[in-house]
Amino acid sequence: MLVIDKYAYTNRIVAWSPKTKGIVWLLCMVIAFQPIVWLKGILIVAVAVDTIYVTKVSVRRYLRWFYVILPFLLLSVIGIVFTMTPIKDQLYLPIHLFGNYFGVSKAMLPKGLLLAVQVLAAVVSTYWFALTTPFRQILDLLVSLHLSNLIIEETMLMYRFIFIFIDSFEEIHRAQKLRFGYRNVRTSLHSLSILVKMLFEQIMINYEAMTHALDAKLYDGEFTIGKSRMEK
Amino acid sequence: MIELRNVSFAYEKNQPTLKHISLKLGEDNENIVGIIGPNGSGKSTLFLNLVGMLKPSDGEIVVDGSPIKYGKHALNELRKKIGIVFQNSDQQIFYSIVQDDIAFALHNLNLPQEEIDQRVDRVLKELDIEAIRNKPIQYLSGGQKKRVAIAGILVLRSEWLLLDEPTAGLDPDGKRRMLDLMKRLVANGQKIIVSSHDMDFMYEICDHFFILNDGQIVKSGRKKDVFLDEQLLQDCKLEQPWLVKIHQKLHLPLYADQTDLFHQQASELKGGEPK
Repeated sequence: MLVIDKYAYTNRIVAWSPKTKGIVWLLCMVIAFQPIVWLKGILIVAVAVDTIYVTKVSVRRYLRWFYVILPFLLLSVIGIVFTMTPIKDQLYLPIHLFGNYFGVSKAMLPKGLLLAVQVLAAVVSTYWFALTTPFRQILDLLVSLHLSNLIIEETMLMYRFIFIFIDSFEEIHRAQKLRFGYRNVRTSLHSLSILVKMLFEQIMINYEAMTHALDAKLYDGEFTIGKSRMEK
Repeated sequence: MIELRNVSFAYEKNQPTLKHISLKLGEDNENIVGIIGPNGSGKSTLFLNLVGMLKPSDGEIVVDGSPIKYGKHALNELRKKIGIVFQNSDQQIFYSIVQDDIAFALHNLNLPQEEIDQRVDRVLKELDIEAIRNKPIQYLSGGQKKRVAIAGILVLRSEWLLLDEPTAGLDPDGKRRMLDLMKRLVANGQKIIVSSHDMDFMYEICDHFFILNDGQIVKSGRKKDVFLDEQLLQDCKLEQPWLVKIHQKLHLPLYADQTDLFHQQASELKGGEPK
């Protein structure tokens, strides 16, 4: 089960209109990509603190969610700031290598750091939106933005079936682990290949069962998604 | 009235799953018909034939006097008349939010929005799931999912409701609710065909039975007709309901359900005359 999803339903501002949250998110994105750097810094701190406050998530768990994006962020920054050049003066910490110098580019370092701050600000803001907005509200937002039905349909079905997929994955994985399927690299690879095969087979079986269920509900090729009704 | 005339069905040639089945469903005073059979006896296959998702390789199925036609339009009409709820709830709930999913079939019928809202509200109330109407499906219990799956078909207001193994995977509370729900539906005039090998459940809820074994109907009738032959049930890999066991082994009267038993026995203990 995706824990991250639970916060979306239980946070302090769950009742806010999705449009307000959407506008706040948009505003955060504008601040994240405008040129004044200290504003971005304030944004990161403010939104992070607010996220922790409204979702009542522990700081440790919140920080741990950044592990997912950290490798990507670091790799891109490293790719930008490290460089090879024949001129020693262009670099911080130059290392002589094959007749050239390798190190951190003086010209690219500020750009790399700026990118890192920008990305971090955007991610922090998006986490805020994702952690405070229940899925039904996201659908409402998409509907009121008059996006094409196909996109909304797809989003809805993905959200529905990702959980079934994760559950199946975990069940098979747990059963394999119990029988020592992941003891070493060799068995792990073998088990993983079986897991993928089983998931694929399950998709075929489920597909047939779902076709029957769709027939029973007189499916005509379209999933209608309107705005949600408020509770009376 | 649904009538099967000498129906056979085979997934693979020469290996029939259903063999020459002839039966009538929906005669007077038969509101809940039970199809009892062990795993692999053909219960689900029979159901899929009843709603035209599978076509008999031999024989025909007659609904209200006319044989099932397999064109798209005719099948839609058939499925408005006969709704079916399958065993695995996850495979028949497509929307991520409860009330959206329940409205699905009605949107497919292009009904006006007010009518859809009204029917959904009513079903939510009937199945006692109003409190979870805005909940995402993945946070529901097995029993709740089952009720959402049933609600998604009930909104069609079909004359017949087919329930395939409705108690599979349910805890005692879920089973009790299912029992109550089915009783309430029948009281409102719903006709139900239910398949299961949960003998006690079937004994309590159904008023007519067909025992299916290896693709054939081996016995049919009412409570007192089908459950007394212990050997036959054992041959079919089934067992007697406990109320029948205490009737035969302890020579108590044959009670229709537990409440009946406890009520009678209690009044006997108090010194009243046994019935």
